[in-house]
Amino acid sequence: MRARLIRDWRFWLLVVALLALAAALALPRLTLTRQARDLLVVIDITGSMNVRDYLQGGEPVSRLAIAKRAARNLLADLPCQSRLGLGIFTERRSFLLFEPAEVCENFAAIDGAIDALDWRMAWEGDSYIARGVHAALAIAGSLKADLVFLTDGQEAPPLAGGELPAYEGEPGAVAGLLVGVGAAEPSPIPKYNEDGREIGFYAEQDVPQENRSGPPPADAPSRAGWNPRNAPWGGEPATGTEHLSAMREDGLRRLAAQTGLGFAALRDPAALWKAVEADTRAHLVEVRVDMAGIPAALALIALTTLFGLGALAGRRPDRLPS
Amino acid sequence: MSWVAGAWQSLTGSWGVDHPLLLGLLVLAALPLAASPLIRQGIPSVFLAPADGLSRAVSLSLRLAGSVAILAIVLGLAGLHRREQMIARQGTGAHLVLLLDRSSSMDNSFADRAPSGDQEAKSVVAKRLLDDFVARRARDRIGVAAFSTSPMPVLPLTDHHEVVRAAIAAIDRPGLAFTDVGRGLALALSSFADDEDEASRAILLVSDGAALIDRKVQETLRDAVARTPVHLYWLFLRSRGAKGIFEEPPPGENTPQANPERHLHLFFQSLGVPYRAFEATSPRAVEQAIAEIDRQETRPITYFERVPRRDLARPAFAVAAGATTLLLLAKLAERNLVRSVPTAAAARPQPAVRRAA
Repeated sequence: MRARLIRDWRFWLLVVALLALAAALALPRLTLTRQARDLLVVIDITGSMNVRDYLQGGEPVSRLAIAKRAARNLLADLPCQSRLGLGIFTERRSFLLFEPAEVCENFAAIDGAIDALDWRMAWEGDSYIARGVHAALAIAGSLKADLVFLTDGQEAPPLAGGELPAYEGEPGAVAGLLVGVGAAEPSPIPKYNEDGREIGFYAEQDVPQENRSGPPPADAPSRAGWNPRNAPWGGEPATGTEHLSAMREDGLRRLAAQTGLGFAALRDPAALWKAVEADTRAHLVEVRVDMAGIPAALALIALTTLFGLGALAGRRPDRLPS
Repeated sequence: MSWVAGAWQSLTGSWGVDHPLLLGLLVLAALPLAASPLIRQGIPSVFLAPADGLSRAVSLSLRLAGSVAILAIVLGLAGLHRREQMIARQGTGAHLVLLLDRSSSMDNSFADRAPSGDQEAKSVVAKRLLDDFVARRARDRIGVAAFSTSPMPVLPLTDHHEVVRAAIAAIDRPGLAFTDVGRGLALALSSFADDEDEASRAILLVSDGAALIDRKVQETLRDAVARTPVHLYWLFLRSRGAKGIFEEPPPGENTPQANPERHLHLFFQSLGVPYRAFEATSPRAVEQAIAEIDRQETRPITYFERVPRRDLARPAFAVAAGATTLLLLAKLAERNLVRSVPTAAAARPQPAVRRAA
């Protein structure tokens, strides 16, 4: 009797299945580590972000809308236990709306907060991007988060002499990246009245074409109507293309180099995660992983083999009883 | 057929699997119906084992045990779980929008100086006490809006207080220049626009000063308040030397320009909604005011308690183990029909060969 049982593969397959299931029930959960990130996302909401130079489904879409979409995609792409904080940039300040909070638990609220960003929250028309990035780095540093700064790089008024203001922090102390939003070709900037209605586009003389604070540039004496006391910048209004806005990739790259940040141009709002992954620091968090699946799969294989072979072995007995 | 769809909806609404593709393996559960773990043995005649109810039941239950074992393992592998459930409960609480002043004067102490030594900045005091306040009001839905030079929506109404506290933690960052209370209030009111619930709605305005409200904005506010009745609380962090909101100023000085705070108070009173102002001149007074609001806003509210997702993989494996144990017991109880007594007649074949179950 016992000898027959020991020779019977069916018996052994059942034993294997039962032992595997017992192992699945007894196996403790493993603690594994996973990469999570703490990010501070700062979105530029100055006027030039209203430029509609993205196309989506044949419709022109503003830079701000694309930046918001990119930030919401980023929020969805972050693994759980990552944290995300939100700030806005306008004038010369980065303004923290909320500190980094866990992304999975607070997804709806953070998503709603990003969606609610609007250029009308801006309090000033100026746009000192370099100072804003410096301020955002200080905030990110104090929060121990990495910075993701979405901007088109349009300085208004333009930097005096094209020089970046000095950065007081230590370059590279805060990791992160600048994300260039906008197309390379210049486009007109929409203009709004005080009720927030669009009333056309900025013309050449509506915006400062030259930064006339600080000492005049070296080439000033060669300008028409120059007078060292009365007209140190020349006698004629500055001309230029500051009323048209393109994504200032060169300026942003220089700023990124100055502050030790990375740079990525935003072409596709869904593709921001790749760049963020490359330029921000991950830290390890512990997740509990259930390993019961492996022995359970073994049990399934054993039972399937048992019944599969049983079915294949034929419905007829091998031999008649003697 | 709509009830089928309805049943399916309710099934997938509360139950789910992590790896739906693995459910394809469920077809394997049909195998035990075609095969048995017991050895088939020929017997000369079916009449040797007449059909009886008990045998049929045992035979059927063994087949079912095989199917159940496979089903349970596949469901467990696919990650069967009961989804996170929201259970509506009745409690006390409110839908609350915190409207926070982020102007730079909030960064000064109550003595209206840059904070030094043991003096705290008003924003630091407000941050600490609001954080306690939110921690005490676990059942509220809370939204956050800020205002300074312009109004800023910070968070929509949410049940998740971690992010609310992250927003409160941000208020002691350097603020901006001005105090646009009117448009800030309009923004806070608009936070309730999608809020269909019957719960009590409240706005807690925390500011250390006020500014004139434009006539146009005043009209807008009256309209908005008429549409969305709210309870309004103003926590006025009064600095030393600033004019109070409850005192009647001497005649001649009673103009909105000279006393914007007092006139904002009068404007709020004229809105025709429940309104209370608290004048806080020290951290202690702020604490009392917040405790008072805490006491006031205790009307019934339907809130949702989250029952977290429950993984059912282990129970499924336990069921599979039970079914497999049954099969193994049957296997152990299996007996050979043939006696091992050698007889001469054993070699002769019998004509009617049937299989036994």
